Amino acid sequence: MSTTTRRIVAGVSGLAATSFLASCAKDAPQDTWQPKGSNAKIIDDLQQPVFAIAGVVGVIVFCVVVYCIIKFRDRGQAMPEQTHGKPALEIGMTILPALILAGVGVFTFRTVFDLSKTSDTQMVVNVTGQQWWWEYDYPAQPELGITAPIITSGQMVIPVGTKVLLRETSRDVIHSYWIPALNGKRDAVPGRVHTLRLDADKPGIYAGQCTEFCGLSHANMRMETVALSKEDFAAWVANQLADAKSPAENTLAKEGEAVFLNQCVRCHQVNGLKKADGSPAIAAPDENVWSGAAPNLTHLMSRNTFAGASWDLLNKKCRANVWGASSETVGKKYLAGVSEECLNQTDLRRWLRNAPAMKPMYADPTQLSSTNGKYRGMPNLGLSEDDIDKLVAYLSTLK
Amino acid sequence: MFTPGSKFFLGLTGFSLAVCVLYIALVDNATGGAVALLSIATASGVVAGLSLFNRDGEVAVGDTAAPASAEQLTASMWPLIATVGFVGVVAGLITHPIVFFLGLIALLAAGTEWLVQSWSEGASSDKVYNASLRGRMLHPLEFPILATVGLGVIIISFSRVMLAVSKDAGAIIFIVVGSAVLFAGAIFALKPSLKKTLVVGICVASAVGVAASGIAAASNGLRDDLVKAKKEHHFSHKECGEEESEHFDHLAEGTISMRSNPIATIELRDGKLTARELGVDKVTQTITFPRSNDATIIFRNKDEREARLTAYLGTKAVQDGVVEEVLNCTQMIGIDHEQALTFKIAKPSMASEKPYTLTVPGLEGQSIEIMVP
Ligand code: HEC
Ligand SMILES: [Cu+2]
Repeated sequence: MSTTTRRIVAGVSGLAATSFLASCAKDAPQDTWQPKGSNAKIIDDLQQPVFAIAGVVGVIVFCVVVYCIIKFRDRGQAMPEQTHGKPALEIGMTILPALILAGVGVFTFRTVFDLSKTSDTQMVVNVTGQQWWWEYDYPAQPELGITAPIITSGQMVIPVGTKVLLRETSRDVIHSYWIPALNGKRDAVPGRVHTLRLDADKPGIYAGQCTEFCGLSHANMRMETVALSKEDFAAWVANQLADAKSPAENTLAKEGEAVFLNQCVRCHQVNGLKKADGSPAIAAPDENVWSGAAPNLTHLMSRNTFAGASWDLLNKKCRANVWGASSETVGKKYLAGVSEECLNQTDLRRWLRNAPAMKPMYADPTQLSSTNGKYRGMPNLGLSEDDIDKLVAYLSTLK
Repeated sequence: MFTPGSKFFLGLTGFSLAVCVLYIALVDNATGGAVALLSIATASGVVAGLSLFNRDGEVAVGDTAAPASAEQLTASMWPLIATVGFVGVVAGLITHPIVFFLGLIALLAAGTEWLVQSWSEGASSDKVYNASLRGRMLHPLEFPILATVGLGVIIISFSRVMLAVSKDAGAIIFIVVGSAVLFAGAIFALKPSLKKTLVVGICVASAVGVAASGIAAASNGLRDDLVKAKKEHHFSHKECGEEESEHFDHLAEGTISMRSNPIATIELRDGKLTARELGVDKVTQTITFPRSNDATIIFRNKDEREARLTAYLGTKAVQDGVVEEVLNCTQMIGIDHEQALTFKIAKPSMASEKPYTLTVPGLEGQSIEIMVP
């Protein structure tokens, strides 16, 4: 073998090996080739054959080009006779691709229409994006046991085998909701409401992330859809409908509640929380946060990620236990929430100590003139370690 | 050895460098200003070099045989205008910014014209050639600017007339003026033999006429209903009861809503109010409305009478202890018409004593509850 040939062989086999190995990624929760719901399957049923056709065409074109390069390379021969045009070939090469594209087009349109149907909706969730987290609110749907609106953030919980319709919008800039295993992406646009169907075949935690660049912490705007069996979902709903219970007197958590009332309630709602005078504490994120919202923390410990689903509320061991669980057991494990032993103290404390240091957020109190004095994200509140201890104790009670 | 032009630019370079040094020495945080001054110094330095190199572009240097230049010079009004502009700038500094800006514009325009004119007059001994040189430099500037100003004057004058006369008179004026323009245009096109002075005369006379009526109309003020609307600030004072809509634009009701993206559609039919939410094929009496986010609903009137949809959006404190209901509403909607209504509710339902609702004033017992999570 000549050196050149050897180089070519080495290069080609290197490329082939890389692409082969790349396709074997094991821990790839956002793999678009592994549909886990009927809408994702509709897309998959289109993209598989289209990819195959494109692959065949690509290989043919590539081979012809390589053949021409080798066969007609310059060996010092005389310039061959030049011909101009070959109508039969040209017409054929126009019609063939047009036919292929038309075929693909027909199936693409069918897929688009299939994906935009709303007539078979079984459940509705309103999904609102803002810098840099997602809020979900479930309108009252008594037939599903949702007797009053539910509100949560980061992780959206749905029952398996149920056709869920998301109504997406945004409070500030354009975001885009995408759980690759369950469906394609759909932009959340301020002032508009876009619908997206979602359903999951099996219980599990399906990861995704915002796919429309939305500012500083776009990369930290993640989300999960958690699919639970119908019974587990009912249990989740029952828990979400309950108000938070005030901690017992003379506990660290009770002191934490006081700190919370002082520092946090101006942005964060905790349903059932009462002010010292006994009146309900109503958060006012509309007055303090640029987007007008902050996560409702009533059931913080029922979700297992926080701050745009970018950090874990579960420590490493417990996380592996829940996220690695089989579809039979994942529901029960998820419903167990975040217990004291499982709490990821490190990251939660880090967040309370200085949130913008963890997640860039334009929350510098000296730089708020462009936002009318409102914060974009959660500011550094300068809490003492003492207060943080108390707050963690309190937050742990928000099951 | 230094040509007059290069002297000027060398002076400018030295001066801005000196100022720059002073500026850096005297001003805190001087980066921006220093950069600007250095840029001026650099730019004028380059120009100074250029004019040294080409001896001020003095084409006439080798052309000394040309006849005395005295008779070449055309009379110029630019020095006069430049003086007026300069006075305007100075006077504007102590009187009114408008005077200053007008003066500045006059100064800049006169400066440019003057510069190019004297440069072109020194270009050669051929007057016609010099004039064409001037034209080549300045026409690309003059024509668009004059056209913009001319058109602007006509449009503004005409719009003043339309704002001053009544709506009906406005329509008639529009028809008459439009026909006159069409007629004149047709004549000009069909009779190319018309004297140029006649055509120009007609055009100038009409332009002056429009401008004069514009000035007259503007000094006369707006027509009554516009004056009233302006005073009442009517977009922020909607009537949300049973009364007629006095200030709404009636033509908007049928169109705008079609293009919006409603979270729900509210329908009034046979005296009953019902709602349909986006993506849910079901009629309901409760809609979920996003919290702290603008969203839009559509009100569709299928009843046998005009009706308005009024949204009760909670209360707000206007003074210590005084609270006021927050209402928003559509106008009176005609039969078979619809209108979009966009609003925002900052606080969840649990923060409001009375539920947020949508009702039709004058229609008892019908209401849609707005749930805000
Ligand atoms: C100025 C408003 C503001 C204040 C005050 C505030 N927060 Fe936040 N907080 C936010 C915003 C906005 C977010 C969402 C940030 C993100 O995910 O990007 C957030 C997120 C959080 C989260 C993560 C919630 C989730 O589900 O993702 C926790 C926990 C939290 N804050 C706790 C607190 C505590 C405890 C306090 C009081 C010491 C507090 N916050 C004070 C605005 C605020
Ligand atoms: Cu985003």
